[in-house]
Amino acid sequence: MTVTLRIAAELNNLAAVRRFVQETAAALGASTAATDNLVLAVDESATNIIEHGYRGQPGEIEIEIGRAEDTVVIHLRDQAPPFDPTRLPNPDLTLPLDQRPIGGLGIFLTRHIVDAVTYRPTSQGGNELTLIKKVDSPHHSS
Amino acid sequence: MNITTEQAQARVPVTILRPHGEVDGSNYREVIDRARELYQTGARHLLIDLADTPYMSSAGLVALHSIALLYMGNQPPDLEDGWRAIRAVGEAGGGEAQPNVRLLNLQPKVTRVLDQTGLLTFFETYSDQATAVASF
Repeated sequence: MTVTLRIAAELNNLAAVRRFVQETAAALGASTAATDNLVLAVDESATNIIEHGYRGQPGEIEIEIGRAEDTVVIHLRDQAPPFDPTRLPNPDLTLPLDQRPIGGLGIFLTRHIVDAVTYRPTSQGGNELTLIKKVDSPHHSS
Repeated sequence: MNITTEQAQARVPVTILRPHGEVDGSNYREVIDRARELYQTGARHLLIDLADTPYMSSAGLVALHSIALLYMGNQPPDLEDGWRAIRAVGEAGGGEAQPNVRLLNLQPKVTRVLDQTGLLTFFETYSDQATAVASF
């Protein structure tokens, strides 16, 4: 089973995106902890698409969530110019506060809280980001 | 988003800033703007009460980081240019590594993202307002 949300690429829609991920991941049997991580990972990914992909231009994000064995798989698709967030370097977390670049933590957090992040350009000229998170068995979910 | 403030007096005047609701890419600038307004009107010791902030994405971390830099004496970030402007302020560095910004009533999800990104070590955190105010 997969569930899909298509929504305008606007920052004001992030709360609706989070609600969709929360409800769908829980319905697919993800534990509370896994669901929380998926909500944050999708929020970060959608924010990147809006801020760095569409850059304020109108567009749409498609979010498809499905279950594959012991994982929840989430595809985020957009038609923004090619942007591969997986190529961004991780921030240096050892730097003192006043020497750290502000921002750049979104993809770091995403990598940290899901098990796999992959990117591919789509044949339609857009982007597809895939997040994979191992989750508890539905019979053992909390 | 709704952001309220309160003044408290300890050894120094302390301003308490309370964002109400989740902080994400849609509203983090409002938190920075309010903290900047307070700074521009003389506030120098800021306690951010996150009791009513159950969730924060990295955009919220940008807000906390920007506010900490601001209260360390950095130039307030110009948000007109969005993330690029904020990042430029951070890259400029400067100031002391002892920000006059402290956090109160951190919720579990917010604690987690602060910890995962290493930012938690830069903030003193409290669960009691009187103790937090007296700490300045």
